Amino acid sequence: MTTSRRDFLRGGVAFGAAFATLPLLSACGSDDAGAALDPSKSATDLDGVKLKVLVNQPNLGAWRIAARLFEQETGATVELTPIPYDKLTSNAIRDVQSGAGEFDVFQYWYVGLGDLVDAGALENLTDFIDERRAEIRPEDFLPSIYDPYTLIDDRRWGLPFDGDTFLLFYNQELFDRFGVQPPQTWEQYADVTRTITGRGGGNVYGAAVMGQQVPIILGCTFADRLVGFGGRFLDDSGKPALTSPEAVAAAEALFAVSPDALPTPLQTGFDQAIPAFLSGRAAMMEFWTDLSVMASNPEQSRIVDSWRPIQLPVGGSNTTHGTSLNAGFGAAVSTLSKHKEAAAALVQFQASPRSQETVIGNFGTGADPIRRSTFAAPEFRRTFGQAAGDVQAGLSGQPLVWPNSVGAVDRLQTLVDELALGIQGKQSAREALQKAQDAWERG
Amino acid sequence: MRKTPASLSWPLIGALLLFSAFPFAYLIGLSLTDSTLARPLNGFSGLDNYADALASTAFKSSLWRSALFAVGAALLQLALGTALALLLAIRGRRLGWLGVALLLPLVTPPVMVGVAWKLLLAPVGGALPEIADTLGSSGFNPLGSSLGAFVSLLAIDTWQWTPFVTLLLYAALLGVPRELLDAARIDGASTRQLLRHVILPLIAGTLVAVFLLRLVIAFKVFDIVYVVTSGGPGFATTLSAFDIYRTGLQDFQVGEAAAATVVFSLLVGIFVTVVSRLHKRVREVAP
Repeated sequence: MTTSRRDFLRGGVAFGAAFATLPLLSACGSDDAGAALDPSKSATDLDGVKLKVLVNQPNLGAWRIAARLFEQETGATVELTPIPYDKLTSNAIRDVQSGAGEFDVFQYWYVGLGDLVDAGALENLTDFIDERRAEIRPEDFLPSIYDPYTLIDDRRWGLPFDGDTFLLFYNQELFDRFGVQPPQTWEQYADVTRTITGRGGGNVYGAAVMGQQVPIILGCTFADRLVGFGGRFLDDSGKPALTSPEAVAAAEALFAVSPDALPTPLQTGFDQAIPAFLSGRAAMMEFWTDLSVMASNPEQSRIVDSWRPIQLPVGGSNTTHGTSLNAGFGAAVSTLSKHKEAAAALVQFQASPRSQETVIGNFGTGADPIRRSTFAAPEFRRTFGQAAGDVQAGLSGQPLVWPNSVGAVDRLQTLVDELALGIQGKQSAREALQKAQDAWERG
Repeated sequence: MRKTPASLSWPLIGALLLFSAFPFAYLIGLSLTDSTLARPLNGFSGLDNYADALASTAFKSSLWRSALFAVGAALLQLALGTALALLLAIRGRRLGWLGVALLLPLVTPPVMVGVAWKLLLAPVGGALPEIADTLGSSGFNPLGSSLGAFVSLLAIDTWQWTPFVTLLLYAALLGVPRELLDAARIDGASTRQLLRHVILPLIAGTLVAVFLLRLVIAFKVFDIVYVVTSGGPGFATTLSAFDIYRTGLQDFQVGEAAAATVVFSLLVGIFVTVVSRLHKRVREVAP
């Protein structure tokens, strides 16, 4: 057989067309999610069942404890796969969209919940929870986090895992050396930062301000100020409220302190800020409560006896201290799980008072309470020590909730992009927030 | 004229379709549909994704920034690589320990290169700012400014890739006939004349080919941007590959990322076409 150039081209075009249609076929096929979770069916015999869980790397310790308890109680085996926090949403979506179905349970960042639901990655747990109200005790979950972490379109897609909140940590020894007081307002925070940096001679800085251009870092830093000034990401009707006077004041406070912070905020992420604070080069930093564990560990910290936690400062006319739900995670069942009832049992178990109190009772797990009853547990007081009161106050109040609908991650990235340009001095706080507001309104 | 048996070309056709046509068709499909990470190929959307990509300030600015980075890196590395290759050629045919030293940056994983340079350049505790401070230049923080961060990435890329260019050009220099050089010297050519009129014309084809290779690789740079600057400060080092990654896999806008990829590919294609024509022309006139 022989071929001419024309035959060759014809064959190529035919093959190309055939290949081009393959993605369409595969996309059609990807909707097959298998049998749905039967809420009335209990996983009575879990002995020998193997469950695979996709977890957030910093929460691996907490998951190990919860998984061990679950294994002891049920005879099931739990295999944990830790990944970075910023890959949780995309990896879960890819696991389901690709049809791989490697995982039975996903730990998720609540901001990505809308995207996960939209992707069809999560089982609807509404009926499952309703059937087991007596065991799960939803009324015991902290009202400030239960809905934001689990509810989309009036349906429940998971149960809370970790109620992360932020505090302001400061170095008492440095404060004494420079003759300054712990700040109660963001204005005072800026003054303290300026004073210490000015007198620190390039060896000590007033504050480490985390401004790396990703939602989980710069978004947190802005949210801390936003709640301090009494602002919100969304108004009561769910519309963006980024141009409110409170939001503008929060961004202005952030931009104003940046020149005096550890150089430079836009380069500063976890791996720059934490060593600077623990080594005594930065006098203040905002962080999750986990920092108290790191600061108390002499192998990691040079400020074991001098760190102190306080609630985030307030600003403007707001006088009520608050906190922001800057991270916060839940656990949910994958639609492609082959052991949905068993997976749901694990999700239920990890949110139980027993599991929560055991996890929180261990240092270094990085977990914060998700239940009211946990505040009364001796494990909570023992682990959180001097930060316990502030954590309880923050979570019991009205913490700032981040958006969690479809596209929330994308919108938050737009916000931090504009804020980063503001920190760089390329636009004012009002301009940055107006652009973000416009983008959020466009959807 | 005798025709080629068709069976000989089918493996090649199959490979091309599998590795080129299929991904490209899929990419086009994504760019023309309302695709997110959650819902790929979810309804025809016409050219909306292209409009969104071209309306994105971050993506638009990343195009010229990528072009500047790629051309700048390729030219800089070509110049340095040529100089180093000439020095090596003068030294002789045996590279010895120099060969190992040259290969070191090349075999280091790019992520490790990024991590190492990030630590070296860290404004607090970084080795280079500490040295600058000791020399009396306090506040040295190249990654803290737009220009400094861009130049730093260029320097890191050059540190990693110049050895590659050097080795290729060194091999080309070894191919220059000894008799030609001797004859030129007997005719009274100076070292500069020898370089300009004998050596460079002989290796011109290799020079352009290496430039083309580096240009394409530099356009695609992602890892050191991801590790060292994350595209910042602001968008100062957001190159197109990084912006496309962010749009597709962090913001989940896969359709827009696919459209941006097509636009970016067209830009790279323009540069490649121009340099390819130059390469062809050089080969035609080369001695």
